[in-house]
Amino acid sequence: MDKKVAIVGFRMKSAPDLVTTRERLTFELTRGLFDDLGIEREDVDTTIFCTNDFLDGRTISNCFLEGPAGCYMRDESKVEMDALNGLMYACMRILSGQYRTAMVVSLALTGYQVSPYLHIEYQLSPIYDRQMRLLNELSAAALQARSYLTRYGYSEELLDAVAVQALSNAAANPYQARRIPGVSKEKVASSSPYYEPLKELHCYPPTDGGCVLLLASAERAKELTDKPVWVLGMGQSIETFYLGERDLFRSPSTVKAAKRAYELAGIKDPKAEVDLAEVSALFAHQEPLLAEALGLLEEGAAESSYQSGDTAVSGKMPINPSGGALGGHPVSATGLIRAAEAVRQLRGEAGENQVGKAEVAVVHGQDGPCAQQNAVVVLGV
Amino acid sequence: MSVQEETFLTPVVPLDFTYNYYIGQYLTRYFKGFKEKKILGSRCPGCSKVAVPPRKYCGVCNKVMEEMVELPQEGTLENFTVGHVTMEKGGRLSPAEKPYVLGLIKLDDKASLLLHKVEGVDPSQVKAGMKVKAVWKDQVEGDYWDLDHFEPA
Repeated sequence: MDKKVAIVGFRMKSAPDLVTTRERLTFELTRGLFDDLGIEREDVDTTIFCTNDFLDGRTISNCFLEGPAGCYMRDESKVEMDALNGLMYACMRILSGQYRTAMVVSLALTGYQVSPYLHIEYQLSPIYDRQMRLLNELSAAALQARSYLTRYGYSEELLDAVAVQALSNAAANPYQARRIPGVSKEKVASSSPYYEPLKELHCYPPTDGGCVLLLASAERAKELTDKPVWVLGMGQSIETFYLGERDLFRSPSTVKAAKRAYELAGIKDPKAEVDLAEVSALFAHQEPLLAEALGLLEEGAAESSYQSGDTAVSGKMPINPSGGALGGHPVSATGLIRAAEAVRQLRGEAGENQVGKAEVAVVHGQDGPCAQQNAVVVLGV
Repeated sequence: MSVQEETFLTPVVPLDFTYNYYIGQYLTRYFKGFKEKKILGSRCPGCSKVAVPPRKYCGVCNKVMEEMVELPQEGTLENFTVGHVTMEKGGRLSPAEKPYVLGLIKLDDKASLLLHKVEGVDPSQVKAGMKVKAVWKDQVEGDYWDLDHFEPA
């Protein structure tokens, strides 16, 4: 995509319970972004919301946010999916030539005010799954975890290793909601069992949070920032809804989405050319599973990759240096938060979690049971 | 005033209304099969895979599945999880009274995996690859839970 669209700024916030309203969080994030960039709402040509009607308890749940987001009487639209899809939509709007700037806004108050699990619960078939009441987000993820571990002969300790790395990174990241000091394998392994092999600390925590991000055309980006982060490629794909028809140990839709994103970015060898990845892994097993699908880890070598420290902040392929979604998952906003975390890395602003060389990052977002739908964006400086 | 110092009213806002879904012709056939203690699937004319429960469309081939096939009552436990929690209405997690097994069961090499309860075995003894068989309710009525669970064969 050759440096046509850039991310010029972001704001994000997460906590177990923000004790706030959707309108207030939206206003704080968007007004904060305008102030960061020295712009006013008229400078935002189009706004894309990514919120979830079901979790907001209102249909077309962007309709009450035009005031707080500053898009009253302006161009706006909505994507009811993970917000990385919204980022792609915003990019396409700029590429259309009709807009010079596009803002993506995503948030969810799924910490205290509503259960995050309802998101998948009400994606399931009302006439079968929801009658049987066997499948839910966690039991589905557990089946995927078991399928993955069995396929490659990994022990359950891999889940602990992934969780310890993610939660340690999250503890050092002020933007994360779940920050456990001194997290250890023992602590993870002794957390409450949910559905085997998944335990509480292998799973994302209920989280309040949101993220806003401003994209701009190349010309406009130069006026707005000295540190543009370029969108180099993007792709998405969706696989079948029916779990019994999927090979849960792999993610062919991520493979396909990544292929398209890499082609657009001119990346031929992701292991050599990508410096870090921010992956929306909602459960510990999904991090290596998705990193393999993104072509960043050798298939079947996850245990050695995590044991050797290859995936750590200081490793040769840092995966989720931010701590990823095990540190916080405001449903829908998570993919956009991954993008903002990649921007922090690419600008060299990631503090304690800064990776050494950060010039090209892969960002991933997912939606649906067991990552049914996957979006991949390549960012670079 | 900081956020932490504020308190808010937290009105409870239930969404309790009813959807009346039609289940369609294929699930209807599935449950009619239950009345004869049969497990039915639909076969795709393109890839010859069998969807259980049956449905009309094969997503991969984009073809209509018209052929109904009866599946064996015995199969292999391909994958499973032991639940230690239950998810209640509203998405709240509660500890389970006792651990329980959910399994993905392969009834035929061409068939999709059927998710069901696996009983009659200590959860700690369950292994992938186990042979399991269908256990029906004594009185079948052509309804969801006629096929009650699976147990070791």
